[in-house]
Amino acid sequence: MTTTTVSSTRATPLPGIDHGRAGLANQIRSEWTKLRSVRSTWICLAVIVVGSIGLSALVSNIEAGRWATLGIVDRAQFDPVRFSLTGEFLSQFVVGVLGALVITSEYATGSIRTTLSTTSRRTTVLAAKLLVIGAVVLVVSEVTSFASFFTGQVVLLAHGGKALPAGSTIIDQVRSSTIPVVSITSAGAARAVFLAGVYLLLLTLLACGLGFILRHTAGAISAFVGILLVLPLVVDILPSSFSSSFERYLPSNLGLAMVVVTTRKTDFAGVLLTPWAAAGLLALYTAVVIVVATVLLVRRDA
Amino acid sequence: MISASHLTKSYGSTRAVDDLSFEVRPGVVTGFLGPNGSGKSTTMRMVMGLDRPDSGTVTIGGRRFADLHWPLREVGALLEAKALHPGRSAANHLLSMAQTNSIPRTRVDEVLELVGLESVARRKVGKFSLGMSQRLGIASALLGDPGVLLFDEPVNGLDPEGILWVRTLLQGLAAEGRTILVSSHLMSEMALTATDLVVIGRGQLIADTTVADFIASNTEATVLVRSPRPEELAAALRSAGAGVVPGPDGGLLVTGLDAAAIGDTAHASGLVLHELSPQHASLEEVFMDLTADMVDYHGHTAVEVAP
Repeated sequence: MTTTTVSSTRATPLPGIDHGRAGLANQIRSEWTKLRSVRSTWICLAVIVVGSIGLSALVSNIEAGRWATLGIVDRAQFDPVRFSLTGEFLSQFVVGVLGALVITSEYATGSIRTTLSTTSRRTTVLAAKLLVIGAVVLVVSEVTSFASFFTGQVVLLAHGGKALPAGSTIIDQVRSSTIPVVSITSAGAARAVFLAGVYLLLLTLLACGLGFILRHTAGAISAFVGILLVLPLVVDILPSSFSSSFERYLPSNLGLAMVVVTTRKTDFAGVLLTPWAAAGLLALYTAVVIVVATVLLVRRDA
Repeated sequence: MISASHLTKSYGSTRAVDDLSFEVRPGVVTGFLGPNGSGKSTTMRMVMGLDRPDSGTVTIGGRRFADLHWPLREVGALLEAKALHPGRSAANHLLSMAQTNSIPRTRVDEVLELVGLESVARRKVGKFSLGMSQRLGIASALLGDPGVLLFDEPVNGLDPEGILWVRTLLQGLAAEGRTILVSSHLMSEMALTATDLVVIGRGQLIADTTVADFIASNTEATVLVRSPRPEELAAALRSAGAGVVPGPDGGLLVTGLDAAAIGDTAHASGLVLHELSPQHASLEEVFMDLTADMVDYHGHTAVEVAP
């Protein structure tokens, strides 16, 4: 590296600003620059897109191959929408990492102090991070979710599947000789596909909130995975009279409830909340975490 | 202008900063000295609004950090050079900062050129040496063209050429009328760079003065004399009221009399002098003397400090 001699500290004086203040729009631009300028963002998003569409094709292909050998109960539970959204299980952990890293990478490196010294209102940092990562994940998740849906249905069609006539019931599906294929216009399908993306959005914001609270990458991701994977196991070993009334409120089961096509509900009937209620409750959990994160961010030393 | 008033900050049972008051004036470089763990970094974090004081206030140009509308345009800081996302390029790091305060994109290229990093602007900062990271940290402090600048150990990891560059830069910034507070553990460097000094130990103020006054008021004037008959000279000087201790290589270190009075005394006693030289303490020596009992973490090898 060569050293340049310094004659002046400013090639041109920086034009001053005598109105307004460093606000949310500034922080949003900054957060977008930070998000797009690290490779981990693009790797995570690529895993979501490729993984979801790939798993949709794979699982739909496997299930289509099994159709001919399925019994009545299995045919009744044959859910082409859910098969096509299998990738959501993978994506939920990827968005957890993405959401947590947005803030914990700054605590890990110490650059959080640089970030907080750019504004005298810390809440704008938190708001900007949530808005930017939330917008990116929502767009990618929705596009991925719809693409996965159509990919899955195309795979079923390729196996000779046919869409059941409008108004068909589970009975019609069981009696049908061809593999059922779901149209996006059929009851509940578009909602399930849309809410799959919303589920990933809410989990991203939840993980980001946990990151603000725990300020540690491994801690935040562990807590996130614990909520999705370990909490169901803990509830499961409780007495069944107790666990059966709690299971439906677990975030992982809320996610399941959001993508179940209720007209086809069979094994989940009465066990899960309705899709919109599940989305609302998960949003409430997320909001609580974000409120705690905000209070701690404002109060704690950086 | 930075004004700290009765700043106090504890972490658990450790009092990091204790009733600290000082002022940093514009136009000169102010050195911020103290042993490791004396509270320098904590104080700087409180100036930047990152840590909240338990009591007391600190203001930048008369306003608390929380009241600044465009913080980067008012105060720039280099607190930790390596506090960067390793996967981001220098240019993107600076751009993300510039956007927070509506600083035009062209300013990013200007400060990169200013610190000599324009050729590595697109390289990931994780591959930067400590010296390059220091330059990037200085670039980010200068990004908003602020009137107040804080640098925590800016010459760490720099080669001699880089150290000279920082010295010239800091003095240039001060000459433009900016307020510069710079901490360093390199006393000799501080003596060359700074005009004013804020010295702290165990979180408390030891001195808020100029480098010259700090050295003068904390050292007893000492004169080194040599004579072929040191015992007789020592006796003569003692009877004239001076303090005399053995110096290096058979010389005598004399306090309480200046060089002229020592020469006169020797002459009156008929003694020959081979050397008569007033001793100047370095900033480092004065600092070490003054803070010797305030160092929390020190090695076990005793360091002999020459007067």
